[in-house]
Amino acid sequence: MKFDDLTQIVGENLLAHRMRAILTILGITIGIAAVIAVVAIGQGGRVAILSQIEQLGSSRYFEITVDQSRGEAATVDTFRMEDATLIKELSPAVEKLAPIAVGAIIDVRLPQTNQKPVSAQLLGTTPDYAPAGNLSFASGRFLSAGDVSAHSRVVVLDAELSKQIFGDADPVGKQVFIQDNSATVIGLLKKQASGLMGSMGIRYAYVPITFAQEILNSRVIYQLSGVAVSKEALPQAIADSVKILEKRHPASGVHYKGQSMEDQLGAISQVTSVITMVIGAVAAIALVVGGVGVMNIMLVAVTERTREIGLLKALGARRRDIMQQFLGEAIALCLVGGFFGVLFGAGGAWIVAYFAHWPPLISGWTILLAFGFSATVGLFFGIYPASRAAALSPAEALRHL
Amino acid sequence: MISISELTKTYGVGDAAVTALDHVSLEIGSGEFVAIMGPSGSGKSTFLSLLGCLERPSGGRYLVDGRDTETLSDDDLADLRMQKFGFVFQAYNLMPRYGIMRNVELPLIYMGVGRRERAARAEALLRRVGLGHRLRHKPTELSGGEQQRVAIARALVNNPAVILADEPTGNLDSKAGHEIMGIFQELHREGKTIILVTHEPNIARYAGRILYFLDGHLIREEANTP
Repeated sequence: MKFDDLTQIVGENLLAHRMRAILTILGITIGIAAVIAVVAIGQGGRVAILSQIEQLGSSRYFEITVDQSRGEAATVDTFRMEDATLIKELSPAVEKLAPIAVGAIIDVRLPQTNQKPVSAQLLGTTPDYAPAGNLSFASGRFLSAGDVSAHSRVVVLDAELSKQIFGDADPVGKQVFIQDNSATVIGLLKKQASGLMGSMGIRYAYVPITFAQEILNSRVIYQLSGVAVSKEALPQAIADSVKILEKRHPASGVHYKGQSMEDQLGAISQVTSVITMVIGAVAAIALVVGGVGVMNIMLVAVTERTREIGLLKALGARRRDIMQQFLGEAIALCLVGGFFGVLFGAGGAWIVAYFAHWPPLISGWTILLAFGFSATVGLFFGIYPASRAAALSPAEALRHL
Repeated sequence: MISISELTKTYGVGDAAVTALDHVSLEIGSGEFVAIMGPSGSGKSTFLSLLGCLERPSGGRYLVDGRDTETLSDDDLADLRMQKFGFVFQAYNLMPRYGIMRNVELPLIYMGVGRRERAARAEALLRRVGLGHRLRHKPTELSGGEQQRVAIARALVNNPAVILADEPTGNLDSKAGHEIMGIFQELHREGKTIILVTHEPNIARYAGRILYFLDGHLIREEANTP
């Protein structure tokens, strides 16, 4: 049988039962659309998260914390103020290193007004944090070494925080109240392109670590953040830092743990891919259900057309001809379903991406894969009905009513 | 051309087994017009479907042009049907959703013949059976006699040596039946071998040789002058 004859026969047979074909196609469409949308949203979300995290710091960034996976928490004895300076002196791999003190969310507001206070994350640190955190300034400057040693009551605001307190005015030189401590604004950060933390609603107020400890009434330093001299020096910088800390605080009873930006990206990337995979697997079940629908309809078609199959065989159709015809119908159903599935799936992903401000990530590769997958579903679920049709003896099939 | 010895067909197994055809031996030469008669259940239809390789015998031998059909695969049998046999059924067995042209072309589609040649051959044969004015119709728009003519055109389209007809006039009134038999007679004159199952004596009269079946046995045969 020639290919154009085959396609014509397949088309005619499907059109003969339009409603049935449409419902079967709908099943496949839903399955493929679900898979495409989940994969596209997952990939787009992942790219968005990763690029936002990359904006948060230098590629040479690393941090030293306690091992939270062991249930450890930093105490007053875990890190000391001098640790950062000492490590920087001892390790040639470490370029900058800043201690960081953070506390619960605090209120920031204008003095002597009825303005509603704005919630922010207080981050106490030293001048070295600026390069580590990839901070760039719209106005003013970052904390200086003098600010830290003098316990200066100064603060650097991020763009969003400043906007909520001061509107569009330049806040540098103005006073704010942090909790109930008055402080002078010395710097304003540039607005970051919808950063992850920003989209989660977290605003930062940077103050000298010494000032932060006064506000928070705690001497606990939570972590050290720094940059290595080069990307290649990262492992060395982390290893040196951990070694020095262990030597200086043998009685702290914690395990120091170093993580680079790469490590964090890797971990987050792994989490997002696992989530995508799990949801994708659920979507794939929808596709399999669609496939079972195709098989069901094809088995009905075989039973219904038994006499016709007998006739075609009597007229000289070979096993292969009958097989091709039924398999062709199953695959055609799945490909049409796949087409609409890609359309709806991509549309859905695009809408989600539009509202979440993600890049909509539907590669040609995803579409190709979806089509390949739907054709495979057709093939897989079509083979059994098709071979049952092809195996019928013509005389037996003709006797069938 | 057709050589049969001890051909047997049993349906079912064990106690439920029914012997539809019981050790039938027979030769049919090229160009013969044979009628097979017998009451229903006598095995005549089973015999015809074995002749047409629509099913395989349970025992005995069946040679077509000296080839033992037992050694042929299912696809070889399909090829043999395509090249050698044309079938005409009592219920016409036309595809209702196709026009009559496409119905006649159907065997050629499976032979891989191109569209233009298919159409030419189908049209010529439909004209020949007297349906030249109905080429655009669907089978359901035709009378029984006309539908059976379409079926005959379809049986002829692959230019087979043998026409196998199972009660071709069974659903037709007497006038239409005789018209159909006229076509068979004409085909026979052109050299086709025609093997026809019927239970009507005045249809069997068209044949040159009449076989009588009863309970799966070939009980009698007689020569006839049409």
